[in-house]
Amino acid sequence: MAKESWLTQFPEMERADLTAIKKGLDGAYREFSRTYGDAIESIFDPLLYFLVWFEKLLLQTPWWLVIIVVTAIVHWAARSNKLSVGVVIAFCLIGYFGMWDNTMRTLSIITVCTLVSIAIGIPTGIVMARSDRMQSIINPILDIMQTMPAFVYLIPVVMLLGIGKIPGVIAVVIYAVPPVIRLTNLGIRLVDKEVLEAATAYGANKSQRLWDVQLPLAMPTIMAGINQTIMMALAMVVVASMIGVKGLGQPVLKSITNQYFTLGLFNGLAIVALAIIFDRVSQAYAKRTQKHLEGSH
Amino acid sequence: MKRLVGAALVMFGMMATAQAGEACGKITIADMNWSSATVIAHVDQFILQHGYGCEAELIPGDTMPTTASMMEKGEPDIAPELWSNSGRDAIEQAVKDKRLRIAGNSLADGGEEGFWVPEYMVKKDPSLATIAGIMANAKLFKHPEDDTKSGFVTCPAGWNCEVSSGHLFKALKLADAGFEIVDPGSSAGLSGSIAKAYERGEGWFGYYWAPTAVLGKYKMVKVDFGSGIKFDHFTKCLTQAECENPQPSMYPPSPVHTITTEAFAAKSPAAFDYLSKRSFKNDQMNVLLAWMEENQAEGDVVMEEFLKNYETTWATWVSPEIAAKVKQALADL
Repeated sequence: MAKESWLTQFPEMERADLTAIKKGLDGAYREFSRTYGDAIESIFDPLLYFLVWFEKLLLQTPWWLVIIVVTAIVHWAARSNKLSVGVVIAFCLIGYFGMWDNTMRTLSIITVCTLVSIAIGIPTGIVMARSDRMQSIINPILDIMQTMPAFVYLIPVVMLLGIGKIPGVIAVVIYAVPPVIRLTNLGIRLVDKEVLEAATAYGANKSQRLWDVQLPLAMPTIMAGINQTIMMALAMVVVASMIGVKGLGQPVLKSITNQYFTLGLFNGLAIVALAIIFDRVSQAYAKRTQKHLEGSH
Repeated sequence: MKRLVGAALVMFGMMATAQAGEACGKITIADMNWSSATVIAHVDQFILQHGYGCEAELIPGDTMPTTASMMEKGEPDIAPELWSNSGRDAIEQAVKDKRLRIAGNSLADGGEEGFWVPEYMVKKDPSLATIAGIMANAKLFKHPEDDTKSGFVTCPAGWNCEVSSGHLFKALKLADAGFEIVDPGSSAGLSGSIAKAYERGEGWFGYYWAPTAVLGKYKMVKVDFGSGIKFDHFTKCLTQAECENPQPSMYPPSPVHTITTEAFAAKSPAAFDYLSKRSFKNDQMNVLLAWMEENQAEGDVVMEEFLKNYETTWATWVSPEIAAKVKQALADL
């Protein structure tokens, strides 16, 4: 064999240098987590208390009361008898197949993740819509958040915050927040220039234009974003259970390692049922609140 | 067009000469997703390729999927480090059915399992090396979600050790001392929780196993249950899903095997003979893993380090002619 030359072999970095970089960065991260870990952990304490409280609430409430409350919310949001009956049937089946507790845990964490995502996502989307420069900065960050394999940041987060709910919520939010940001941005940017000019002509100031013109007109797009965010959060349930988040993901993982296909299928279907309920409700709600827009064009 | 075909032919020719195989042909080796197994897989690949003329390819694996695929599909050919306790019945059946063959012990001393606490805690309070000391000081081991409880980090859901550590949790009456089982979700979650505790000097009490890079890097002490090993009770009750009256017992060393498919063993007896001799001592593996962690090395780098510096070990696994071939190949690297 001929000696290696840079023509046949890509001129690689020296192994020692690469090791130095890897060790240096890891060491720096360790140092960081040692110094600031406790402080960062205590910032998230209120969120942890809320998560634990909300999960206990769902678990300790009698099952029929949970079904009544959920169905009431669904009916209020969607005003559809068919959907409400479907929700009751889905929850009864979930309970009958012994997945009630895990479903409640997943419901609780997904609700919190969705709220956190909306709370972060909509303001970010507004900022992004108002400045092209912000858009050019935030867009690549969103690309990274959506494509970076979750395990790459999962374990560093565990080193910083330990196993359990908080790192789980962070992992889910990182993955699930981009759609709501992107679609808020898009929705606001798609509002007609003429409409905005008219609002300005009527003497609306910047915040009035945002709250009374841009956001309401962008609402259908924003709702589509929220809907996607919920779906992606549910898809992350299994990944989150890899760092100790209890819920439907745990039995799915268990069934993967033991090849219990039926157990995996049942729990997977429970996740799908939750997803369909969230999806139909948020869509029906969006459609209902946008009714007045129909026929206006 | 003609020129293009010509170029393609030349390229194919180059590829063919680059991977000219001899007697043993094309084989696949499972590259399991933990460090010691990946080191062994790379060593096997190098020795089989250069010593025995196999065209050895590594494919990613994990205990359960790899065993299932070896039994059902006859692929991959070699599982270099299989902790066979978890699927013992299935493996024994497959050996009887002439689907698999057990070549030897990849880890001569067997795997070491148990409940561990960080060494710095034991240095402060030597009583923490015993289960009584841990139960008396339960407050030191914080539960991640509930301040009023103490946490015992168990083995990831679905692993066989989750069953045994759950029974031991009951047998040792840890719940009475305020402990609750914390599920880390995955092996990465488990080692992450150890790393977090260790970096901050916090309390940690849970299940782990050796030889692993984690225990090479973070010094831990195995907790003594004061019960010794009750082998019969362990295999008949503690490792079974149903165990009515669990009694405390230390973990017996678990067998760690090199397993091949019957087809491979029949086709290349010389290579199979090497696999049956290839066996690591635990302390040697721990040193290698610590070196791996220290240098953040990949399996192939550790393989090089091992073959270059531990010739006395691996030379006993192969005949002198083959050792010479391997050494020649090492020099060409």
